[in-house]
Amino acid sequence: MTRFAHALLLGVVGAGIVHIAVLMLLPYYTERDAWSLLSRSSGYYETTRIGGSGATTPLVRSVDPLFSAVACRFDLADGVLHVDAEGTVPFWSMSVYDRNGQNIYSFNDRTAPDGQVNFVVLTPVQTIEVRKTLPESFVESVFVEADLSEGIVVVRAFVPDPTWSSAIDSFLSGVACTPN
Amino acid sequence: MIRAIFLTAVVLAISIGGGAASVWLALSASEGIGAVVISGWTAFPDVGTPHADTYSKARFAREGGLSLGRAEGITFVAQQDTSGNRLRRRCTYQIEGEIPSARFWTLYAADDQRVVLPPTVRRIPALHSQEMLRTVDGAISITASPHPAPGNWLGLSGSGPMQFVLTLYDTPAATSSRVFEISLPQVLRVGCDD
Repeated sequence: MTRFAHALLLGVVGAGIVHIAVLMLLPYYTERDAWSLLSRSSGYYETTRIGGSGATTPLVRSVDPLFSAVACRFDLADGVLHVDAEGTVPFWSMSVYDRNGQNIYSFNDRTAPDGQVNFVVLTPVQTIEVRKTLPESFVESVFVEADLSEGIVVVRAFVPDPTWSSAIDSFLSGVACTPN
Repeated sequence: MIRAIFLTAVVLAISIGGGAASVWLALSASEGIGAVVISGWTAFPDVGTPHADTYSKARFAREGGLSLGRAEGITFVAQQDTSGNRLRRRCTYQIEGEIPSARFWTLYAADDQRVVLPPTVRRIPALHSQEMLRTVDGAISITASPHPAPGNWLGLSGSGPMQFVLTLYDTPAATSSRVFEISLPQVLRVGCDD
């Protein structure tokens, strides 16, 4: 009987260990996160519509029904990421997410210089390299220093009413993710 | 010998079964960790950021979401009216009061998976601040109902439970230190069809 009680106690301690292990590992092994959903529909540096009319990979909880949004996956091991788009819309915002879909950095059209989508995502090491010889195309860019390798960039745009949708569609389809 | 194998099996069964079951229970039940509740509206300012707690991170990873950043905005969800009843699509609600300062905000009615309800006639049930009719003191009054209403009408459709999702964009309220200071509109039930 004592041995059985001992086994039960050991089982409860083991359950605690398994609980913590599963909890900590879950974000790394899940196949239902945003990264997995996006990687099923598009490759690296391909922009995918995740919300609004004609969304190819709808991430419903992530995008307001009055918004359209595009996402692209990147890997900073390929070089720094340059994201830019032309045009003016009522409101746009962008976020950089890490591999687990956690928001690392965000800004909107009012916090960006002259309201244009033009930013560079790079690691601290790449920052040192880029500072030495600043490429001509990066002169007006916002630099987002993020200590990560793989990640997701999302650009969201507000669609106040359906008459805006074609203008916003062309703005979002002009969003380009390019490794440099 | 058989006894030793049996005891080992008991230990393993309790460990693996109990551990997995407790994680599953914790993730499906504890919606409240890290929540900020303001007059019936719930927000999770830290979910989807590296500052979130371990349970929120694990739950978030299973939802496949990409949450709004601090510079983008903050989302509040109401699942109950002011008297504590679950929101239903066959009822008429009055959403009244002030909305915190933001560049603009959107409000929509959604199902449990936070998918916007299907449109009534041509419009999806979603409104935003730039199309609001306001009272003289700048407050808003929205009628959410399956039946058309004068003023600001949020058209509901279908039956069953629902939730209201209010998102403030480009707002100082998005930083979690300020989020307790704001006041949000009340959701009052006017009546139900059934």
